[in-house]
Amino acid sequence: MSSLEELSHRHEDEAKLAESEAVPRGAPILELRGLQKKYGLVEALKPATVTFLAGEIHAIVGENGAGKSTLIKLLTGVIRRTAGEVFWCGKPVQLATPNEAISRGINAVHQEVVLCPHLSVAANMFLGDEMNRYGLMRKAAMERAAQAVLDDLGFQLPAAALLGSLTIGQQQLVATAKAAMRGIRFLIFDEPTAYLTRQESAQLFRLIRRLRDQGVTIVYISHRMEEVFELADRVSVLRDGAHVGTRLISETSENELIALMINRSIEQIYHKEKVPVGKVIVETRGLSGPGFSDVSLSVRAGEIVGLYGLIGAGRSEFALGLYGRQPVSAGEIFWDGAKVDIRNERQAMELGIALAPESRRDQGLCLNLPIGLNINLPVFRRLSSGLTIRRGDEAANADRQIRDLRIKTPSRRVLASAMSGGNQQKIVIGKWLSHGARLFIFDEPTVGVDVGTKAEIYRLFGELLKQGAGIILISSYLPEVYELADRLHVFRGGRLVASHDHRAATHEDVLTQAIGI
Amino acid sequence: MSVDTTTESAPAPKKGTNILLGLTLLGLLLFLWLLLGVSTNAFWTPNNISNLLRQGAMTAILAVGQTFVIITAGIDLSVGAIVGFTSVIVAWLLQAGVPLWLSIILTLLIGVAIGAFHGFGIVRMGLPPFIITLATLTSLRGIGLLITNGATISISHEGFTNFSRADFLGVPSLFWMVILVAIPAFVFLHLSRWGRYLFAVGSNKEAARLSGVNVDRTIYLAYILSATCAAFVGLLLASRIGIGNATQAEGWELQAIASSVIGGTSLFGAVGSVHGPLLGAFILATINNGANLLNINSFWQRIITGLLIIVIVYFDQLRRRGSR
Repeated sequence: MSSLEELSHRHEDEAKLAESEAVPRGAPILELRGLQKKYGLVEALKPATVTFLAGEIHAIVGENGAGKSTLIKLLTGVIRRTAGEVFWCGKPVQLATPNEAISRGINAVHQEVVLCPHLSVAANMFLGDEMNRYGLMRKAAMERAAQAVLDDLGFQLPAAALLGSLTIGQQQLVATAKAAMRGIRFLIFDEPTAYLTRQESAQLFRLIRRLRDQGVTIVYISHRMEEVFELADRVSVLRDGAHVGTRLISETSENELIALMINRSIEQIYHKEKVPVGKVIVETRGLSGPGFSDVSLSVRAGEIVGLYGLIGAGRSEFALGLYGRQPVSAGEIFWDGAKVDIRNERQAMELGIALAPESRRDQGLCLNLPIGLNINLPVFRRLSSGLTIRRGDEAANADRQIRDLRIKTPSRRVLASAMSGGNQQKIVIGKWLSHGARLFIFDEPTVGVDVGTKAEIYRLFGELLKQGAGIILISSYLPEVYELADRLHVFRGGRLVASHDHRAATHEDVLTQAIGI
Repeated sequence: MSVDTTTESAPAPKKGTNILLGLTLLGLLLFLWLLLGVSTNAFWTPNNISNLLRQGAMTAILAVGQTFVIITAGIDLSVGAIVGFTSVIVAWLLQAGVPLWLSIILTLLIGVAIGAFHGFGIVRMGLPPFIITLATLTSLRGIGLLITNGATISISHEGFTNFSRADFLGVPSLFWMVILVAIPAFVFLHLSRWGRYLFAVGSNKEAARLSGVNVDRTIYLAYILSATCAAFVGLLLASRIGIGNATQAEGWELQAIASSVIGGTSLFGAVGSVHGPLLGAFILATINNGANLLNINSFWQRIITGLLIIVIVYFDQLRRRGSR
């Protein structure tokens, strides 16, 4: 028996409970009948009837606001349903509280890691379920057990290290291992690979398959079609809060799923405007700083320069250095051919650089403030006369961005935290559109964003190029940079290791260069 | 491109709920006044109302300054100590024969300097606001006592001490001082870009910084405003009691924080207003005043204040959660 299985059967009573509710593989374990959720008049989830089978990987795809988050929250007891029935192992259940869901073995791994960065990996894995003897914690025993689980899963992570010292991707793996230890029977993954490198994703997939083979039912939510096809047994599609179909993976195609999701073909998504390329806007020569060194590249008006690499390859650090957020230790920056010294964000903005940063939550948005304030934050100076803000212009600017970008909100006064991922990304972009710039840096603009919003963002790139701007597009999603970038630079270990013209290299070449085999 | 995406929830707009809280607090204040007016004859007398406005005025000004700091997700524990310290400073200056106008300006500048020191500790030294202001809380009282050698300096300048007893248009001059502070404070917090920056810094420093907001300067500004408000209150207190004494205004920082929190300011930052702490301060003053009139043991006043904080903040939390 592996250490993971041992630990997951640590609690005898829970094991017995699991036996009493045993469901043979392939039989329905969780059935939703007419499950519905309304917020006031808004129907976040229209009556949905879906069956999850024991021991399957069931993918759920859909655009932002299609109802995926609502469904997860209903299943994990975070919110209560408005109507409909839920059957667990054939018996009707309430799923009224998170504890009820957890006690039945339903658990979720969220896109954003919800763990304690100041505790060790082992302490996090045992959080709320510590091993005790005589009322004292058995720290060493927990560390050994946690290490055994991590080794067993092939994660190569130190159990004694502080969680905060790991990358976001590694923390995600810890969160998954923690969930897997709890004797779960039904595990929901919400966009788990959004922040993972390829190797980390591969490790996660191995773990997911292994859990499935142990009889755990997996619900896998992702925007990445190739993952759905790699992993899932069946897939359900949500659109506008309605369940529009469930397919066997072997009997469907990417095109069919996309058609179900948005009624649009895939060619229209990577739509790229052909814009005449102008003169060089910015050029870096041997730029070095924390996390990147000796980077030389240039961006011309009307072109997209793609930066591809694994997470931690130095692309975001380079962007922050160029933007004046991080000190640059060596090298030169030329703006319109003249050497410039960018020491802080304000100088970068005044030159005409805009940065839509990597993490919406940590860098992009003031989440507990209204959408309007977020959009106007870079431009309050322009919206002020003397001491005070011109309130009419303030409202008009926010409303214009909300309208132009189709941010789905009843009002600019709604808090940014109430928006879905795609709409939040639009708010970040709206900030910089209202400021205006000649060089736009987009760092992972489509992470956690659905296909429809992606297409809108790509279209927006075209608009910016037509207005004579240049774009630096940082992405860990190869098809995106590959299709969109006029020039593609590959980063590895803080250095620029290869450059290609549009579609000049194969996917495999680029990947190999990024990984460095 | 027609892609229909709906938001998953439609929360109530924020501005509406802000006004709602303001009205609720105003309702509570009026209710307390009515209740006291019915239960005791002494409440609705001109003398008592003047007294009440004077009592509330100083806390109100402190609470407004404190609110600026709390909105940036900080805290200023030093304001009570600054009040005591600056009362000593102004008394000392007047005793030394410095003209009144210059004494006032120098005292306010001391406030600016203390606030700038807090900003320096937080921004440059990386100290938590709680720690740096706790440090000034204790050391300022010490410096004040050193200056006077533990004694009290009495103020013989009559114009200065008469000010706090004077009325203007039938309203105590101390209450006019609240209005004098509140109007520019309102313009600053709600109508100017620096007010927006305070909220942005309190919500997410990094996002504010990447949006071109000078985060360091905003933090300096918040603590300087708070300390200057406190120095101003120090002047008012010195005028009211006619002495300078570094041990005065003990615990006023907690009164100011309580007023601010009752007024809807979130200790997690990014939520707050100017009218909220003003109402909060006068609710607290009314409770104290009412308890005195009703001959309730003054120890009970403290207990009632504590309970009130719990009840009001709890209902505020419920309301916020409900609107999510």
